This record gives sequence, C-alpha cells and structure tokens, in this order.
Amino acid sequence: MQFRLEKRREPSQFMIYATPVAAVVLTMVVGAIIFSLIGYDGIGAVREIFLTPLTNSFKWQDLGVKAAPLIIIGVGLSIAYRANVWNIGAEGQYVMGGLAATGVALATYTMTGWWILPLMMLAGLAGGAAYAAIPAFLKTRLGVNEILTSLMLTYASVQLIYYLVRAPWKDPMGMGFPQTRRFAADALLPNIVPGTILHLGVPIAIIVALVAWFIMSRSVFGYQMKVVGAAPHAARYGGFSENKTIWLALLVSGGLAGFAGALEVSGPFQRMVPGFPTNYGFTAIIVAFLGRLNPLGVIFAGIVMAITFVGGEVAQTTIGLSSSATGVFQAMMLFFLLAFDILVRYRIKRVVPTAEARA
Amino acid sequence: MTPELIIAIIVTVVGASTPILIAALGELVVEKAGVLNLGVEGMMLVGAITAFVIVFVTGNHYLAILLAAAAGVATSLIFGFLTLSLSANQTATGLALTIFGTGFSALAGQGYSAKPVTLLGPLFPSGAADSVWRVLFGYSALVYFALIMVVAIWWFLKKTRAGLILRAVGENDLSAHSIGYSVVGVRYLAVMFGGAMAGIAGACFPLLLTPQWAERMTAGRGWIAVALVVFASWKPFRLLAGAYLFGLVMTMELYAKAGGGPLSAIPSELWAALPYLGTIVVLVLISIRRDASTNAPACLGKPFLPSN
Repeated sequence: MQFRLEKRREPSQFMIYATPVAAVVLTMVVGAIIFSLIGYDGIGAVREIFLTPLTNSFKWQDLGVKAAPLIIIGVGLSIAYRANVWNIGAEGQYVMGGLAATGVALATYTMTGWWILPLMMLAGLAGGAAYAAIPAFLKTRLGVNEILTSLMLTYASVQLIYYLVRAPWKDPMGMGFPQTRRFAADALLPNIVPGTILHLGVPIAIIVALVAWFIMSRSVFGYQMKVVGAAPHAARYGGFSENKTIWLALLVSGGLAGFAGALEVSGPFQRMVPGFPTNYGFTAIIVAFLGRLNPLGVIFAGIVMAITFVGGEVAQTTIGLSSSATGVFQAMMLFFLLAFDILVRYRIKRVVPTAEARA
Repeated sequence: MTPELIIAIIVTVVGASTPILIAALGELVVEKAGVLNLGVEGMMLVGAITAFVIVFVTGNHYLAILLAAAAGVATSLIFGFLTLSLSANQTATGLALTIFGTGFSALAGQGYSAKPVTLLGPLFPSGAADSVWRVLFGYSALVYFALIMVVAIWWFLKKTRAGLILRAVGENDLSAHSIGYSVVGVRYLAVMFGGAMAGIAGACFPLLLTPQWAERMTAGRGWIAVALVVFASWKPFRLLAGAYLFGLVMTMELYAKAGGGPLSAIPSELWAALPYLGTIVVLVLISIRRDASTNAPACLGKPFLPSN
C-alpha cells in the first residue's frame, strides 16, 4: 500500500484546530513510552505531569500563576511570528521589564501611593519594548538577523541582573545574599483571592489575550501583521511598509514580555533575584505555536504549558523525575505540532495502482 | 607580560575557540546546502552529555567523541525529518531542537553533576615542557581536528564535484532537482554532517574545557557558532579567524576574573556579557560591508517543494 500527499486547495480548518490537540495527546503517549524505556514509571510520569495539576484543586492556583506570564508573552510572540518577525529574545525582554519595574520599586521605596504599581507596569512595558527596539533598529537599518541579536541580548540581560543584585541594588540588610530588598507594600501586586497565591496578573493575562485577539482580527494593524507575514510582496503593493511592521512586531512583543516581567517581579518574586530568568520567554515560543499564533489559542496553550510546569514539579517530588523532563515534554509537543502541520496543507491519499501501471 | 603568560593565553584561546569553530563549520556546510538549522545549541548539549557519560563510564575519550558525534547525528535527524521530509518551518523546528536538547541533556545528566572526569590530554605529550613546542603541538586531538576540518571543508566545497552539487542545491534547488540531483538527499547528508560536528563540538566542553557536567554548559556557544557563519560570509577560513577572535574575548574574561591588571577594573559580568555583545557588534559590522548578505546561499531557510 502506498500513500502520497495531495495539496489542499485551502488550509484545512479542521486540522488547524485538531493538530494541536493531537500533538498534546501524542506527546503523552510517546512520553510514557520513552520514560518507561529509560527506567521511569512512564505512565506514572505522564499522569503526574499532565493530570495531577488538573485533578488536584490545590494546584489550580499554581496553574493560573504560571500560565499568566506565558500567555502574556505568548500573545506578543504570536503577533510577531504572524508578521514573520522571529523575536526569540522574549526572555531577555522579560528580564529587562522586570529590571525596569525593580528600578521604579527601589526608587520609590520610601514613598507610598497608588501610582507606584502602575508606574512599575509602564516601566516594565517600556523596558521590554526598548530592549526589543535594538533588534528592530538593527534589522530595519542594517538588515541584521533579529533571531541572533534578540537571543544574544538575552544572555547579556542575565549578566545585567547579576551585576545589579551583586553591587548597586544589593539589599543592605540581605546578609550578603545577591538580591534586592523586598519591595514596599505599594509596589506589590495585590492578590485577587485571599488565602491563595492568585494575583492580579492572572485576569490581566486573559484580558491581554482578548484585546489582542480583537485587535488582530478586527483592525488594520492585525491585517497588516498577517499580510506582511503571509505575502510580503502583496503587502508592499498594498502600501504596508515592511520596516514599520518589523518595528511594531518587536515593540509589541517586547513590550508584552517586559510587562510580564514587571508582573512577575511585583507578584510572585516581590524582589529581584538572580533566579528571575525562569525560561518563560523561551517556553512562550512553544505557547505561541501551540496556540496557532492566535491570541485565543494562546490562552489554552499557556494553560497546557503551565500544566506541564506544575506537573513537572509534582513529578519531581512524587517520583523523583528531574524538573528538566518538563522541557523534553514541551519540545516534543512542538515537534509533533510541526510534523502535523503538513496535514493542514496536504491530505494523505492512498495510491491505488492503475491498470496501466500494473501491466 | 612574560612569555609564559603569553603562551598560556594562546593555549587557552585555542581551546576556547575550538568548540565554536567545529560547530560553526558544521553549520556552514548545512547552510551551504540551503538549510538553516538553529538547533546547533541543542545538538551540542546532547553531544556534551553523551561525551561526558561515556568518558565517565568507560574512561575512553575517543569513544566519547565518536558517540557524541553519533548522538549529534541522531538529534539532527529529528530536524531533518521534520524540515526535509515534512517541510516544516526550519526556524521553528530549529528552535524546538534547541529546547529539546536543553531538556534532554539536563534529564540525562541528572545525577552526574559534581562528578569529575579527566580531560583529553595533548596529542603529542612528550615535549610539552618547551614553550614554543607547546604552542604548536601542545593541544588535544580535537584542536587539530578542527583545523584539519577548516581545510577539508574549504577543499570539499571549492574543489570537489560533491561540493559543487551541495552548493548547487543551496543556490538553486529547482535547477539541481531538474538535472537529476536529489535535493532532499543532499540536504539530509548535510544536516547529518552538521549534527555530527555539533555533537563533537559539544564533546569539547567536558573533554577539553571543564571536566564535569553542568546543565546548559554550552552557554549559548551554539548560537555564537550560528552567528559566526554569517560573520564569515560562509567562508571556512574567515570562520577560523572569527572563532579565534571569540576565543580571545572569552579568555580575556577568565584573566580579568583571575584578578590583577587593568582588565579587572571592569565588572566581571560585563566580561561575561562581552561574547554576546561582541557577536552583535560583529553582525553589525558585517552587515555594513556589502558582500556579506549577497554571499548567503540563495535557498537558505526555504523549504524545497518541487511539485508546486
């Protein structure tokens, strides 16, 4: 029996939605097999990573807290990738947003006022956007590849944290720990449900995704992003400037990553520490793809990825599986999704040998 | 500066440059075939953990290098299958490969941190006392392998028929296809070669630089290797110069951290950031020159779709 691929006239809408689900399911199956082969309880590992976070209601708040930054960064990246702008330095932009917010929190340490927190959020937005402006400038002016510049800047931003928390921003009362002082009360993100760790960033993430969906599907901006990404030549005839699109894509994705950084530093972290870079910026790349570069899809993909994070921690304590196993599951999901993408554009046809061919 | 110090610096620079050079040479061949594999960092990490485990278990450095290369090939085949057989997006697949390699190596290396191995010794150990002799012959086999590969790849691409076919596939896949060459086949071979080189480059970390396993121990060197290919405008000998330049910057960081002299006045974090910032500066400089962008293989990063 032979198969061949036949190009569809239009991308299959069914496959666009079905393939991410299939990718998650297949990851669970193959993950269980692989982890069994290397000597773990494979089915147990998959159950702990993918199901325990959902069935254990204590873990729901963790899911919200982990999903929020992934969704916010993932929304920004999905807009950029739609425009074919490959910002992979979201981790660095997240760090710079966190640092900018930290700067505001430390400068206003002795002050009080409702305005401090919004100012920190704005600083985070500006910090991330400014950091993403470097690749945007280099790309539009000199044609330097944004993949490499945005990634190199990530490595540099991590060193900037180390420098700041070891020297100028070091907590004077920190007993030598390289970290800043804990932020004052007005610089902390409020909780929305007393007695839980759910903070204001969680509903904000959903709102960001909804607003982005509306803008992407209903505005000229969204149309421009999609046209430049899908058909650059047509976009040029249509009067959309490619350079302007590159700038917008990087500023929006960088700004959102920086905003996520500001939320994290004022929420879960409450101070700047060397462990602030938590790979959210890289994981959000998978979130963007798994969400089909659609802000609404990104909400679900962010939750799926948060499940694997929380489940990875569960599996670490219950069955001693390294937390890095999470990364393997996440990468596998992206592999399967990319592999299945062929089904969106092609259909598999069984080749029936014709009479002439047989003769 | 004493002659001893200068010699010590040269030896360190050569060592630090070697993994970048090997990985970049592999990526150069891949890109010459028209494929952009951004998974170099991930393949290097898989090579690094493979080499570490093999040397820890068997004590055989050369077996470790060989199996690191094989692990690199195996990892590259994931990329090859997705992008060449299923024509998935090369950028996204390469990123996924790096995320995979990072996670996989951390998982496989669980329980191996803080366990030491011995470094691969010099290829010609006898005369190591003499300084001049040491600069020329005091290195491990990996260093000479990298240098030989510079010449070999230059010769292959410029002088051989197979090299001509590979370049044709990268410059004009449809023409190469129409005169009967297997575009996908050539690209598979190139991707596998890049995987082997990245695996060996990863092996340099536990075998040549720091004799232990640490998560993410390649620290972005794979990405610098990708950037170097652009810097070298796809020419092997320029790649050699670029890699040694980066080795020099990284070695300066070590000496600055060790203290003494004007170098230590600069915060160590700035030194640590310098290779990455330097990469950006180099990319900017190269883009100002005109020939760099025009020298890129014409089909770089584009999927091959003969039927459409």
